[in-house]
Amino acid sequence: MLSIAVANVAWAQDKPTKNPLEGNPEALKGGMGLFRTRCAACHGVDARGVRGPDLTGVWAAGASDTGLFETVQKGRPGTEMPPGLFMSDEDIWKTLAYLKTLSATPAPVSARGNAANGEHIFSARCSRCHQVDGRGGRLGPDLTRIGLTRARAALTNQIRGALEDLPSGYEPVTLTTPQGRAIRGVKKNEDVFSVQIMDTTERIQGYLRSDLREVRDEKRSLMPKFGPEVLNESDLDDLLSYLATLRGPAPSTTAFTPPAIPR
Amino acid sequence: MRTMVRPFGIVLLTALAALTGLAQEAAPIVSSQDLLNGLKDPGRWLMFGGNYSGQRYSPLTQLTPENVGRLQPQWVFQTETLGRFETTSLLLDNVLYVTGATNHAWALDARTGKQIWRYRRELPANLTACCGLVNKGFGALGDKLFMTTLDAHLLAFDKRTGKILWDVTMEDYKAGYAATIAPLVVKDKVIAGVAGGEFGCRCFLDAYDAQTGKRVWRFYTVPAPGEPGGDSWSGDSWKLGGASIWTTGTYDPQTNLIFYGTGNPGPDFYGEDRKGDNLYSDSMLALDADTGKLRWHYQFTPHDVHDWDSTQVPVLADLPIGGSTRPVVMTANRNGLFYTLDRTTGKPLVAKPFVNVTWTTGIGADGRPVLRPGQVPDEKGSTTCPDITGGTNFNPPAYDPALRLFFVNAREVCATFFGWPQDYKPGQVYTAGSQAKAPGQDKPFGVIRAIDPVTGDRKWEFRYANPTLAGLLSTASGLVFSGDDGGNVIALDARTGKLLWGFQMGSALWGTGPTTYIVDGRQYLLVPTGSALMAFALPREQKLPR
Repeated sequence: MLSIAVANVAWAQDKPTKNPLEGNPEALKGGMGLFRTRCAACHGVDARGVRGPDLTGVWAAGASDTGLFETVQKGRPGTEMPPGLFMSDEDIWKTLAYLKTLSATPAPVSARGNAANGEHIFSARCSRCHQVDGRGGRLGPDLTRIGLTRARAALTNQIRGALEDLPSGYEPVTLTTPQGRAIRGVKKNEDVFSVQIMDTTERIQGYLRSDLREVRDEKRSLMPKFGPEVLNESDLDDLLSYLATLRGPAPSTTAFTPPAIPR
Repeated sequence: MRTMVRPFGIVLLTALAALTGLAQEAAPIVSSQDLLNGLKDPGRWLMFGGNYSGQRYSPLTQLTPENVGRLQPQWVFQTETLGRFETTSLLLDNVLYVTGATNHAWALDARTGKQIWRYRRELPANLTACCGLVNKGFGALGDKLFMTTLDAHLLAFDKRTGKILWDVTMEDYKAGYAATIAPLVVKDKVIAGVAGGEFGCRCFLDAYDAQTGKRVWRFYTVPAPGEPGGDSWSGDSWKLGGASIWTTGTYDPQTNLIFYGTGNPGPDFYGEDRKGDNLYSDSMLALDADTGKLRWHYQFTPHDVHDWDSTQVPVLADLPIGGSTRPVVMTANRNGLFYTLDRTTGKPLVAKPFVNVTWTTGIGADGRPVLRPGQVPDEKGSTTCPDITGGTNFNPPAYDPALRLFFVNAREVCATFFGWPQDYKPGQVYTAGSQAKAPGQDKPFGVIRAIDPVTGDRKWEFRYANPTLAGLLSTASGLVFSGDDGGNVIALDARTGKLLWGFQMGSALWGTGPTTYIVDGRQYLLVPTGSALMAFALPREQKLPR
């Protein structure tokens, strides 16, 4: 029906070593749509990274077409990068063809920031709510592997308060008791009759809605905003450098790959 | 002497009956009159929608708004298989007939949930079912049960043993066809459609002879060139047109018409290669039950590019409109509009949003939706409400004719839709696009709404945290049963929407509704949850074996 010139390439048999759809205008349309639906939530519409890493420099950093194909197809076990379920080989090549159009020569990665000082800042400012290697608080997400799973730009936005990322399990909520006492925390679960939270004292507890005056979903994260007035640029660089070193082991040593869905 | 002989004679007869297999009470068989009687016998639930109207309105009144708060679990049936229930269980002679995931099926003792027989179909590894290896339930006639399969067959079972009596191929599953629909039995025919709208099917509705399995008629939901509606597809696009039928329809014995909603045109999100209205996708069809001939159609979403299958249950009722009683068919559509159509002509009498809708301002005098600009998916993305899953979906609604209220489990969700050209390859997903979370939208939520079908106005609503696809059941005592997204089965007051009862089952009621019936004089509520079935009733003293 469509006129993709390479439509008859035998995709499955011998995997091409170079992207057969690179530069193909029809394929780029599909690639843009695929990238935006399947990749952009983590890597950004411009591929410069949101939660996931910046992808604009992957080729310049030495990645090959086949290597990237495999990453999309199989995901990165132990990270949030999932396997490309329901993506045909053609879909993957289209996506990579589009990604290539977003490629840029990466800015040189500066080694700015002192990780050792960053660790001190982390202990003082962050560890009350975030664990690393089993030490620290539990109210916010565990950061043992944050250096692998979040781009520097995304972390900057999060720390500065420019990005309100409220993943499931960390949505802020305030419960009000009939006596008017407010219980602040993060929501772990809820249904028609009840809500389950971790409060700011790290107590996990379920509450019946019938026992509460109000259950209010908050718009702002419980994480404070660390603007330049409380965390200067130099300290932020140090902190980011420290976070980039956090590449701890995956929670499980056995990578789980979901079984292929029959089709 | 005589007083001595008579009891002996009865004992002898009983013993003889047991030996020769002559049961004292013959196992009932299902006649076409029984099907027409619907839920009049409180000990029966004989078809997907309870009766031919699809109202899911039970005449039972033991459970009331006053006592429903005392409902307690009676038993749980665990399938011990993977996959969840989307089934409506049939009940006959105190036995439940249940279909499950991956084409398992069971006969269960309705008193205890204990298994009487179990069936499992060996399925090929390369199935093309798009959206879950589920099944929506049996149809019944005579001593037979009928079930569709994920590899697009239709089976007839002996209801006493679970043995297969005949097995016919509806279409080749390798070409993208699958079947999950509960068959509808009308007179001597078993009616069923196929899924495949994400695989470039040219889909259809079939009728088979209940005795032999021989196909009696087929109605293609995508007309060929030269047939009426054939000019609504550009080029050869009709060959991959989709318009699958995967939710059970309803039947009007007065006019001998069956009503079915059809699925999306293929490919789902990119319409440039299938210019035109793309009949009869996203439509309501009224077909002659004997011949499969089309009487009328109404297309809810012409040239759909948002995957808004109209495979909702067409609910039949008679409504006071314009000073007379009008036979109507009602549907809360996936596109976000509630419709009341004239059942005789298909003309829309009411079309009103029941959720937030951005793609249309309503229907014009010609019955067609008036489109808003900027709502066509492309590779850059365009944001539309509702999302792909829709204002509601295939989860059955319920209708209370006494209160004249239509109950629907609605979803308030928007999405960014993407579309791009895609080549068709047999057996591969053919959607030419997708959707992503809409940026900056309000937090989505789920809500049960009660709609007056004469005006389309909302009378009450019951809101909960996240959208879900629980079906509904209403009863003549003024109850509405459904579920939230968090695993609760709930009961609401049908007049006000007030929450009256709930029970945390551990997994959501999803894609199907609860059913209710009488066994041993006691009203039960049966609720599928995950891969289990739960039965509830009012408490009574437990009888222990002696």
